[in-house]
Amino acid sequence: MIRPPQTATGVWRTLKQAAAIAGTTLTEAIQQPVALLILLAAVLMTLLSPVFQFHRFSEDGRLARDSGLACMLVFGLVLAAGTAGRSVADEIARGTAAAAIGKPVSRVTFVLAKWLGIFGVVALFWCGVLAATLLAERCSAHFLTLEDFSGYATDPWTLVSSFLGVALALAAAAAGHYWRRRRFGVGAFAGVALSQVAVAAVSGFYNRFGQLYPLHGEAACSGCGGEHAHAAAGLVWYHPELNLRVLPVALLVLFALAIFAALATALATRLQTGAALAVCAGVLILGLAGDAFTAGATALSLRGLLAGVLPDVQHFWLCDAVARGGRVAWSYVAEAGAYAATCCAICLTAGCLAFQDRDLG
Amino acid sequence: MESAKVIETLGLRKTFRDFWRRPVVEAVKGLDFSVRQGEVFGLLGPNGSGKSTTIKMLLGLLHPTAGEIRVLGAAPSDTRVKARIGYLPEVSHLHPFLTPRETLMYYASLFGMSHGVAARRTAELLTMVDLAHAADRAVGRFSKGMARRVGVAQALVNAPELLILDEPTSGLDPLGCREVKDLVRLLARNGVTVLMTSHLLADVEDVCDRVAILDRGVLRAEGQIADLLRKPDAVRFLVEGLSEEEASALRRELEARAGCRVQQDFPAMSLEAFFLQVVAQDGRLRTFEMAPFLQAEHVPGKGPA
Ligand SMILES: Nc1ncnc2c1ncn2[C@@H]1O[C@H](COP(=O)(O)OP(=O)(O)OP(=O)(O)O)[C@@H](O)[C@H]1O
Ligand SMILES: [Mg+2]
Repeated sequence: MIRPPQTATGVWRTLKQAAAIAGTTLTEAIQQPVALLILLAAVLMTLLSPVFQFHRFSEDGRLARDSGLACMLVFGLVLAAGTAGRSVADEIARGTAAAAIGKPVSRVTFVLAKWLGIFGVVALFWCGVLAATLLAERCSAHFLTLEDFSGYATDPWTLVSSFLGVALALAAAAAGHYWRRRRFGVGAFAGVALSQVAVAAVSGFYNRFGQLYPLHGEAACSGCGGEHAHAAAGLVWYHPELNLRVLPVALLVLFALAIFAALATALATRLQTGAALAVCAGVLILGLAGDAFTAGATALSLRGLLAGVLPDVQHFWLCDAVARGGRVAWSYVAEAGAYAATCCAICLTAGCLAFQDRDLG
Repeated sequence: MESAKVIETLGLRKTFRDFWRRPVVEAVKGLDFSVRQGEVFGLLGPNGSGKSTTIKMLLGLLHPTAGEIRVLGAAPSDTRVKARIGYLPEVSHLHPFLTPRETLMYYASLFGMSHGVAARRTAELLTMVDLAHAADRAVGRFSKGMARRVGVAQALVNAPELLILDEPTSGLDPLGCREVKDLVRLLARNGVTVLMTSHLLADVEDVCDRVAILDRGVLRAEGQIADLLRKPDAVRFLVEGLSEEEASALRRELEARAGCRVQQDFPAMSLEAFFLQVVAQDGRLRTFEMAPFLQAEHVPGKGPA
C-alpha cells in the first residue's frame, strides 16, 4: 500500500480548503474583463463628477460624495451578484464545483469559501471606490475664504493624479503581463483599486493649491467637518484633506454588499446567473423602497411578511446623514454590522441547505 | 481469504427529475456490485448506460434515489473517506485560467497538504504525466489530451487508496493510453484499488481483473475477465518461424488427428503495437516513470483516520 499523504485534518484542513477555494474564486473573478469594467466604470464615474459639477446641492462636494456612494452600491451589487453567478452557478454547470466536492471538501465549506472569495472581490472594489469618492469630494469646487484667496477652489493636482493613477495601474498591469507573464486582469483590478488608495494617502502631503506641507500661513481645508483653515499656529506636516465622515457611511454600504454577496451566493446554488442577478436587484429595490412600501403594515399582512423577510437596505444607505457636517455614530455602524452579519448568516445557511442536496452532475 | 470490500452498492437507483420533479430518465436501476481491495475493476457499457452516474453517486456528487452505498466502509459524503480517494471525472473540469502547476497545488491544498509537500508532489506529477514543459501555461488553452493528463495528475495528488477513473484514456494519444494503462497496473501492484469505466474494450481487457457490464442502468454480466472470455472448448497454438507450406502440412496433420476442421491464420501486429514501434523509432517513446511519492514502500494498516 502507498504511504498515506501527510495532511492536516480537522479544522486546520477546513481552513486551508476555504483559503484555497476563496483565493481561486477571487483570482478567477477579478481575472474576468467584466469585473475590471465594473470597477473602472465606478471609479471613473466618481472621479468625473467634480469635472461635471452641475449643481451644488446646497453643499460643496455633496454631488461627488453622493454619486460616489451610489456607484459603490449599484456597481458593487452588480459585481457581487455577477461574481456569485459566475463562480457558483457556472462552476456547478461546468463541473469544477463537482471536482472540488469530489475531494474531501464538505459542501458547507464550499459555499462559505465561495462567499468569502466573492466578498473579497467586493471588498477590493469597495476600497477603490471609497478612495475615489473621498478624492472626488476633495477635488470638487469648494467655496473658501482665506486671507489671500476668496472664491471657488478645485484641486486639479489631485484630480489629475487620480486619473493618472488609473492609467498607470493599467499600464503597469500590461507591462507585467508582457514582461513577467503576470495575469493582466488581476494586476489591473487590484492596481486600479489600490492606485486610488495610494493617491488618497499621498494627497495628505499637499494642499488644494498644490503647496507642499509644512506650510506657514493658511492652508485651505474643507475636509475636517467645517470649512475652515489651518492657521499658521500649528505647523502641519500631513493633512489628508478628505472627508473621513464618509467612512462610516461607506462601511454601511460594504455591509449591504456583504449581504447581497451572501444572497447571490445562496441563489446561485440553484439559479442561473441572470436569475440570481434579477432577484438581487429586486431585493435592492424593495429593500430601498422599504419604508414606503411596508409602512403601517401589520405583521400578519403580506406586506408585513415582506418587511420581515427583506433586508432593510434603508439601514445601510445614510448618505444624507453626513450632509452639512453631519456624522454617523460608530455605535450605529456596529449595530448595522450585527444586523448585516445576521442577514448574511441567514442567507448562507439557506444557501448551504440548498446546495446540500443539489445534484452535481 | 477474500479481501475486504472497498466499494459495495445495494439496490442502487438513480432517477433524474426535471424542474417539476417529474421523472425524466431512470439512469441506474437497482445496481448491486462490489469492488474488492487491490483489484482493478472495469465498469463497461454503451453510451448512456449509467456508468458515470454510478461513479458520481459513489463520490457523493449525485444523491441516489434509492439503495445503499459503502465506500471504504463509510457513506460517500464522508470527507474523511474522500481524503483517501482519487477521482478523474469523465471530462477534466479545470479552472481555465490556472496553470497545471497551480491546478495541482490547488487540489493538493484541498487535501490540507502543506505547501512544501504539495509543491514536491506537483513537480513529480507534472514530470510523470509529461507536462513539465507546459507547467506554466493556462490550462484553458490546452488540447484535450493535455487537459486529460492534468486530470490524471490531480487524481493522484493524494496518493489515493482507491482510484476512480471515468474513461481515463478518452482523448489520449496511443502513447498516453499505454502510459495510463501501465500506471493503473503499477498502482494496482502497489495495493491501490482501481475502479474504471470505459467503452474501449481493449483498454479494459488489458488492465482489469474483473468487469461488470451495464446496459441501460441494469447489470448484465459480472465476473473475472479471464472466466468471462474463456471459450471452454477451443485451444489455440502459436508457432513462429514456419514457412507457408510447413504450416499447411501441420494443419492437415492436426485435422487428421482431431477429426475436425482446424483454423489457420497469420496473426498481424496490433495497430497499437505498430504505432508504438514507429513512434519509438523517433526516440520519442518515454519510458514511463511513476512519481516517487506514489512508489513508497508498503505501509500496512496505516491509513488516515
Ligand atoms: N444531470 C442529468 N440530468 C438528466 N439526465 C442525466 C443527467 N446525467 C446523466 N443523465 C442521463 O442518465 C443516463 C446515463 O448517463 P451516464 O452519463 O451515466 O452514461 P454513461 O454510461 O457514462 O455514458 P457515456 O459512455 O456516454 O459516458 C443518460 O440517459 C443521461 O442522459
Ligand atoms: Mg460517462
